[in-house]
Amino acid sequence: MDHTLKAVDVDLGSLSHAVAAMGDLAVAQVRAAVDVFVRHDLPAAEKVVRADNAVDLQDIEIERNAVRFIALRQPMADDLRRPIAAMKIAMQLERCGDLAKNIAKRVPRLDTAPSEVQSASIAELGRMASERLAAVINAYRNDDAQGAYNVWLKDTDIDERHEGVVREIVAGMAAEPDSVGDSIHLLFIAKNLERIGDHATNIAELVHYQITGTDLSNRPKL
Amino acid sequence: MNAQLENPPETAVLELPPEVVKLAIKDLSFFYGQKQALFDVSVSFAANAVTALIGPSGCGKSTLLRVLNRMYSLYPGQRAQGQVLLDGEDMLSPRVDVATLRARVGMVFQKPTPFPMSIFDNVAYGVKLYEKLSKADMANRVEDSLRRAALWDEVKDKLKESGLSLSGGQQQRLCVARGIAVKPEVLLLDEPASALDPISTARLEETIAELKRDYTIVIVTHNMGQAARLSDHTGFMYLGKLIEFGETEQLFTNPVTTRARDYITGRFG
Repeated sequence: MDHTLKAVDVDLGSLSHAVAAMGDLAVAQVRAAVDVFVRHDLPAAEKVVRADNAVDLQDIEIERNAVRFIALRQPMADDLRRPIAAMKIAMQLERCGDLAKNIAKRVPRLDTAPSEVQSASIAELGRMASERLAAVINAYRNDDAQGAYNVWLKDTDIDERHEGVVREIVAGMAAEPDSVGDSIHLLFIAKNLERIGDHATNIAELVHYQITGTDLSNRPKL
Repeated sequence: MNAQLENPPETAVLELPPEVVKLAIKDLSFFYGQKQALFDVSVSFAANAVTALIGPSGCGKSTLLRVLNRMYSLYPGQRAQGQVLLDGEDMLSPRVDVATLRARVGMVFQKPTPFPMSIFDNVAYGVKLYEKLSKADMANRVEDSLRRAALWDEVKDKLKESGLSLSGGQQQRLCVARGIAVKPEVLLLDEPASALDPISTARLEETIAELKRDYTIVIVTHNMGQAARLSDHTGFMYLGKLIEFGETEQLFTNPVTTRARDYITGRFG
């Protein structure tokens, strides 16, 4: 049922729209960061770094609108959970943006373009992270508690893959000591993608909380 | 995992542990002549706690409050059926004297109702009906009541002035002082702040928060912010029925029933 005061629906609608749009941008940034890494495209990497500013501005705007909504509309129950969740989700997305930027910043610092094997491993990890993020944004957009729960349940998949990638990189370091500098960057890139997966899981918890008012606890841990 | 959203119950009433209950309402129905205003309401109010009753106009919350001290017995044709147990004793029983009941269960109304007499006499008047106090004891009782109602500092130098000379907020706190001067066990408040400005409302709310240390308080309010700020438990009523009753925090952050959720979020049609 709609609110008796229509402005409440308008405010909540625009807040949700802004969070979903920020989520789309964060997903695009993660995909772009992995893509510029794989292609070792230095100019494109610079663009990804600069584009992070837009993610930061969206975070600030969402927080401002959420605070304004709470102050002016004095919401209760699920109406109160929405702006709270919006602020916290925006913060998680802002962190995802930072991690994507950090990946892009490392691209020009690599001495050589990554090998095919390394590219494939990071690309796979990047695909998993961005898909998780896209799935949870989709759950948010559709008020889909079950969808958020499904994302939350799969938290260990990306952790497992990350561990595998780390083992590959470490093995490469042992085999080719000259590549240690680049390998350290690769370890950070892999870790960043694993962290993006964690942020997607956090967002899944927030989406679930927003819809049901209950916490998902005992997160599956590797 | 999401059952409460998919199949919310029609009603959800929290049962309080018996040791905290001061006032227990059991299967209460109320009739204005032929018209039934309350339908089998069962709910308990905890001692030393504030319980808020909320709901749209005509939902029966004021009626419920008025049954608790048999206000309806002034009007022929109005009748209650069920039990209102104060410490286990049924207050609706004809064996219970109405005057004694009202000394145990005090009430403050929506509009301040000071008597056309001095501030001192407004507070002393009720006490004289039930107790014979010496002049000094009465002065102490009046001062204590005015202090508890957070009014003493504002009126201590003009106790002989008319109660009607006070501002609306002060008059309402005078009525609270008058209500507690007879040392009731339960204090009923029917929208006590609806005619007050924000400062007076804040003072009255602070008074109520202080009073709960000594009394069981039931407040009817249309102001949901006030219910959220003040109360420990909240009951939501609709069309004469108690739809949801529980911890205030639970009801305002995650109500169980759809009706309560729609009401507190302003989705009520």
